[in-house]
Amino acid sequence: MSPLETFIQQLINGLVIGMIYALIALGYTMVYGIIQLINFAHGEIFITGAFIGLAVFGALPGALGLGNLWALVLMFALAMAGCGLLGVLIERVAYRPLRKSPRLACLITAIGVSFILQNVLMLIWGPVDKSFPVFFKHSALTFGAFRVTFMQSFIVISSLVMMLVLHFFIRRTMLGKALRAASEDMTAARLMGINVERIISVCFLIGSALGGAGGLMYGMYYNTITFHDGYLAGIKAFTAAVLGGIGNVPGAMLGGVALGMMEGLGAGYLSSEWKNVFAFLILIILLLRWPSGILGKFRHE
Amino acid sequence: MRKKILIVICCLLSALSLGAKQTGVIKIGCVGPITGDQASLGLDQLHALQIAVDEVNAKGEIIPGCRLEVVSLDDQHNPSQAVAMAKRLAADPDVVAVIGHMNSSCSLAAAPIYQNARMAEISPSSSNPEISRKGYDTFFRTCATDDIQAPQAAYFAFKQLKAQKVFVIDDKTTYGKGIADEFKKEILRLGSSVLGHQGIMQGEKDFTPLLTKIKALAPDLIFFGGMYPEGALLLRQARSLGLIAQWLGGDGIYVSAFIDLAKEDAEGVYCTFIGADVSSLASAKNYLETYNSRFGRQHIGPYSAYAYDAANIIIEAIRKAAKKDRQAVLAQVRATKDFPGVVGLTNFDEKGDSTIGFIGVFRVKNSAFEYVGPAKQ
Repeated sequence: MSPLETFIQQLINGLVIGMIYALIALGYTMVYGIIQLINFAHGEIFITGAFIGLAVFGALPGALGLGNLWALVLMFALAMAGCGLLGVLIERVAYRPLRKSPRLACLITAIGVSFILQNVLMLIWGPVDKSFPVFFKHSALTFGAFRVTFMQSFIVISSLVMMLVLHFFIRRTMLGKALRAASEDMTAARLMGINVERIISVCFLIGSALGGAGGLMYGMYYNTITFHDGYLAGIKAFTAAVLGGIGNVPGAMLGGVALGMMEGLGAGYLSSEWKNVFAFLILIILLLRWPSGILGKFRHE
Repeated sequence: MRKKILIVICCLLSALSLGAKQTGVIKIGCVGPITGDQASLGLDQLHALQIAVDEVNAKGEIIPGCRLEVVSLDDQHNPSQAVAMAKRLAADPDVVAVIGHMNSSCSLAAAPIYQNARMAEISPSSSNPEISRKGYDTFFRTCATDDIQAPQAAYFAFKQLKAQKVFVIDDKTTYGKGIADEFKKEILRLGSSVLGHQGIMQGEKDFTPLLTKIKALAPDLIFFGGMYPEGALLLRQARSLGLIAQWLGGDGIYVSAFIDLAKEDAEGVYCTFIGADVSSLASAKNYLETYNSRFGRQHIGPYSAYAYDAANIIIEAIRKAAKKDRQAVLAQVRATKDFPGVVGLTNFDEKGDSTIGFIGVFRVKNSAFEYVGPAKQ
């Protein structure tokens, strides 16, 4: 491999994990954008997606085996639906009663919910690593010496599609407009006749569903999942959201990809032992320069 | 009438409590990772101890008035948790000796606690040589050590696998870094070149940046010093990047869970083990049958027989000591001579290491480990 090919390969590696970070980061940023809450339970919702997908696969009849497109569609549909509903449920039970409380109360509750979910996952699926079925063998598109596996292209393409759909939804639909209005000024939105509580639920539904899809891809990509995998991935995605400007949807996408690539390049060219240190160091430097993230929170004057 | 019944009940109760006092318990501690990613190892160790203890209890009291009991604790392969669990065992006066810990980092951290408590600790799997070099007279192990394993692995890589350009990866734990450093030293001495040596974080999932870098260096062999969860992830990601170098690991990947996680990529992977191929030993036949019927063949782990021997050495020591006394049991463990266990005749040298010191090599074939032979012919 020439140095250039190695560099491109490192970028591709970073892009793939960055896409997953971006999908999770969307959930953080959407919720923050509307109720200014850092939903720490989001990492656990993310990995729940992987567990639901695995359970769905296990329950499928034999005819819908590996390599069957419908099996894949069903896994994603149910994982996203399950996680979306879980997100709405958490908001309804844990956050809505605290809507008028100080923000710190909500934050602590979010941490509590995160612990509860993690332990529920452990009780249901056990404490041992779960092995994921292999959907795409190592078959890959090779360009010279670097290669993109089908799994990698699948992650990048499907994440892009989901992000585009989300972008279109927020920019072009009435519900999206209401969502933007609520995140701009909740009281004014309410005065305009927007059902803000419903908008918040929609926000949790979409964010959690995207997180669940990310979780399922994560499980398929690494082939093993454990109940506590949501923690680190959640922290990374939160970092990505902050990096892009928390509350800003395109920012979360950009932040996720940027973080993934920084990690990849840092680990590839400096030292793999300091992968996380390198990523967080860059974050600190960037935030010192742009305190509200790369894109910042979008504000109408 | 009611009064009479009450009196009778009182008498019965006091008789029962008297009876309970007479049959005391002697406990053997068992510590390993029984939750988390390495849980299969810890549970296997626990199974081995349970089999040994049940066999003794089935025959009656081990010493007059005492039956054996197992206390199982979880160290989560985390050294600070290991210390907490060791303190808990030391604080229980019924516990006379300990099987475990499994991970070298945990054994190293917990050893001083057992030293102060004068409790014998026999590990079936902690292979880092440093643990027994610290002068603890309470530490023993039934497995071989990495200062034997790693040079023999290097010898095998050089002679049999013809490795000329090697890349070394470790997981930065006491065990992983220890075995990787020793391997590197020996293979350099034998004349191969080492293209690089890098650490990874335990619990991390994405190793593609490091593996991409390694691919560009094109080694013909990768040596991994670490445990099976990371080993399997590394291997899968390496193969998906098109990195086709041969793969050699230590005993940390000699676990059937490694093959479950790495799937078809595990084929052709070599690993060394700090002991022999237990399934081929005539002395292990009974034990393996008992294990299979009680817990199922799929759960048996590499250190199972070593944990079973460790358990029986402790049981034998308790029997000879003939009292519930840590110091006396420790003295008997130390005096162990030619103990006829499942893996052979066990003796401990003055450091507490088993003198068997055999290193076997295995290769994954058709989704199972196949015995290749001793590492050094």
